[in-house]
Amino acid sequence: MAEKIKVCTSNFGKGAQDIAVYKKLGGYANISSRLFDLSQFEVIDLVQRSGLRGRGGAGFPTGLKWSFVPRNTGKPVYIVVNADEGEPGTFKDHFLMTEDPHRLIEGLIIAGWALGSRTAYIYVRGEFLPCIESLNKALNQAYAEGLLGKNIGGTKFSFDIFVHRGAGAYICGEETALINSLEGQKGQPRLKPPFPAVSGAWKSPTCVNNVETLMALPWIFQNSPEAYAALGTACAGGTKVFCVSGDVKRTGVYEAPLGTPLMELLTSSDYACGIDGTLKGVIPGGSSCPALLPEECEKATLDYECMAGLKTMFGSGAVMPFNTTRDVVVLLNTLGNFYSHESCGQCTPCREGTGYAKRILNAIINGEGHDGDLELLLSIADQYNGTTICPLAPALGAPMTALIKKYRSEFEAYIEKNPNHGSPRICATYRPGAFW
Amino acid sequence: MSNYYNMPKLPTADSPKVAIFVDDKEVLVPGDTNLLEALKAVGIETPHICYHPYLPVSGNCRQCLVEQEGPRGRMLIIACYTPVTPGMKIYTPASSARVKNARKATNEFMLVNHPLDCPICDKAGECSLQENYMESAHESRLRPEVGKQYHANPDHAFVDSKGQVRGGKRVALGPRVTLDEERCVQCDRCVRFMRHVAKDEQLQLASRGDHTYITTFPGEKLDHEYDLCVTDICPVGALTANHFRFQQRVWLLSRTPSISMDDSLGANIWIDHNNGKIWRIMPRCNPEVNRSWLSNTSRLAYMSFTENRLASGDLNVVSDLLKHAKKVALVAGGACTLEDLAALKMLKDYLGDRASLFGGTLRPVVEADGIAKSGDPLANRAGFKALGIPDNNLNDLMKHAADYDVLLTVHNDLFGDDEGAMILKKIPNRVILSAFNDETSKDATLVCGVNHWSEVTGTMINSLNILQKLSPAPTCPDAQLKPAYEVLSTLAGNPLTSAIAALQKVQEFVPALKPYSYENIRSTGVKLDGVLL
Repeated sequence: MAEKIKVCTSNFGKGAQDIAVYKKLGGYANISSRLFDLSQFEVIDLVQRSGLRGRGGAGFPTGLKWSFVPRNTGKPVYIVVNADEGEPGTFKDHFLMTEDPHRLIEGLIIAGWALGSRTAYIYVRGEFLPCIESLNKALNQAYAEGLLGKNIGGTKFSFDIFVHRGAGAYICGEETALINSLEGQKGQPRLKPPFPAVSGAWKSPTCVNNVETLMALPWIFQNSPEAYAALGTACAGGTKVFCVSGDVKRTGVYEAPLGTPLMELLTSSDYACGIDGTLKGVIPGGSSCPALLPEECEKATLDYECMAGLKTMFGSGAVMPFNTTRDVVVLLNTLGNFYSHESCGQCTPCREGTGYAKRILNAIINGEGHDGDLELLLSIADQYNGTTICPLAPALGAPMTALIKKYRSEFEAYIEKNPNHGSPRICATYRPGAFW
Repeated sequence: MSNYYNMPKLPTADSPKVAIFVDDKEVLVPGDTNLLEALKAVGIETPHICYHPYLPVSGNCRQCLVEQEGPRGRMLIIACYTPVTPGMKIYTPASSARVKNARKATNEFMLVNHPLDCPICDKAGECSLQENYMESAHESRLRPEVGKQYHANPDHAFVDSKGQVRGGKRVALGPRVTLDEERCVQCDRCVRFMRHVAKDEQLQLASRGDHTYITTFPGEKLDHEYDLCVTDICPVGALTANHFRFQQRVWLLSRTPSISMDDSLGANIWIDHNNGKIWRIMPRCNPEVNRSWLSNTSRLAYMSFTENRLASGDLNVVSDLLKHAKKVALVAGGACTLEDLAALKMLKDYLGDRASLFGGTLRPVVEADGIAKSGDPLANRAGFKALGIPDNNLNDLMKHAADYDVLLTVHNDLFGDDEGAMILKKIPNRVILSAFNDETSKDATLVCGVNHWSEVTGTMINSLNILQKLSPAPTCPDAQLKPAYEVLSTLAGNPLTSAIAALQKVQEFVPALKPYSYENIRSTGVKLDGVLL
């Protein structure tokens, strides 16, 4: 590709953590009459025209989400940045915030203006220490320059940003669990409705956005929403930051326009430089997305619609190819351990179901699988769908179903390792530390 | 678990009716409630574990799933959290295999980590999980062999005879409640009760995932006037009351509906008994009175109902005494039913000017707790007023004690309630009608045992002006004992040998009560709106 437009990652490696460098690279140009001359509705309209969709995984149109936030309720509007990046395989937000924290701040100021908010919280995963350091430094610089605080740019607009460290629970990436955790309650999802846009943090209208979503805003304002929309596909505009890990020659964070063929991301010298070994499958959007077989990868493009057509998800952009040396059963077992460990324990199908699936997967791995276990796992995965409060259990169910269906012979080979696989189960004997 | 759960809206008699489609059939349901209550109102029971009508909805058990037709096709929703909207299309297991399977799956998930304790579990027979299991086909795909191992609190763990790690079978949460962590299905009803009803957050769900368990804060105990309510609302046998633990199988108990006569709210109760012995008192749901709650005081009072009782006295002696008395003080007390009061009034009329009526209690009146107690120990105060019996003039009696030569008290432990009442010893003849050999009876010159309120048919009017009825539990230790109204009316020369006759006497004194009989007073009472007071 002749010239690649980078929306979020253009400042990588240029020392943009420093406000002087960031400003020299064109940063904070939007925090001027360019933004303050627009009304709130014009800003939201502009974001809607850009076709920007949430980059956290669900892909909800950002402008639409903002338009749901009610005005004049007498309550403050909060903006919460979901930087609790916990999906296995995803690491883009970490780099985005470490390398270019000012772009997030600029994006937040734009969002704050659009939503009439005066307080934002950045809920950062607690383990991201360099990232938190970088953010706090950037915030101090922005306050010192008068870009945050009271009466920004001589207007009546005041805006504060606080960094809040999470404690490392995956479920706190779910927006209502995140809000609970932010408030100091146990990080468990709330029942919906009401959605956070109406009643979120402290029962006030709250907009929860992903880091990458907000970081696209400065570019959209600097250029134009149409230019951003033109980068992507018909249904969703712009570029996406992909985290490529696994069996490729060069792993890392790559920004590519939506609609880029999956194989180009994996093999192009601009991106991952090729597969290491023979491709066996690709997890296209983070651990909760069903894996694609090599033949499906050939026709896959990186956008919401194509992924939905292949019965998987675009997700958070964590592309994880694995080669023929990898054991799919071990992969699924790892997922089972992860999701059952991260289940918040609130609703029954997830609390009991993920643990149950995990114990069966553990048994299969340990050569104690039995005939019928796979059907049982498939039926359990089916029972996660639509019965839970939040999508954590379906996030295990979807890859479980796909992996068992697509690589069934490997699972059967494991089960056949058990000499008694045809007979009914007997009570497992106690092995210290076997499950925990 | 969030702080922001809302109380469910319950249907009332005035609820607007809206049409919804259940299994493609149009039905009229109350329109201002949730789907679970609306379906219940038209006779469709939806199984549920975590939902409780008097607790905020937390929607975590996922047992009450139904399907709703929506813009994106049929979706599974939880009935307890979904408000009724006109024209909504709902599918229950009667027509939807998906709902049936989803409910069954939820039930299976709960059971896979639930021990097979039913044979030794106190809740067996009144356990929601058991009932749901009976409904959902008696079978499970899931196998308990891959059930979870116990890993909540290492101090509570042990290895059972099959090599499974188990634990938490007898965790003393406080002085009255014992927890079985294995049986817990994490519905968090008890946590919500303590938080939203008792307003004292003593219980909490600790840890997460399938190792979640109920606990108190470190070093703290579950100790609250209403803590035993958590054992009622526990849908499984996880929380058990120490006083009832391993005492009786619930299916061997008979239940008598009655009223707790220790407080003017008149909490509705079930007296659970068999073989002439009361085993427990449970709250009886009355939406307007005590909802589903009962204080520990009322609940545990039964332990002394049959202890320290008086034998029936010789009425001829009392009669003679009254015949020759110059000035008689007739004192009514807290546990008097309307029938007892009417009989006392008969006695006053019989004795004429020689007798004066007194009533009230020496126990302090405290503030209502807003749950199931009004704080007024004179249970039938409204009944006193209705019959024109003084309800607060014991001080007058104490001031003028020297004027009287006979004191006759009914269900009123004056000396036990207040030392100051000892001044009444100035009255030379003290006739005590009481169930118990209490302080007053010990100092009496004549005692006459009568039935306790748990053993009589009667009526009372509570502080909300609701006429409620008491039914007799067959637990009287002495067949010779008679209700107080019978004793009093005998002394008045006109024995009322049945409660019906006594109620007629009440109606003679208070014509406004004429329309009511024991048959037509509903189990939740009759609201006497503006009838009397």
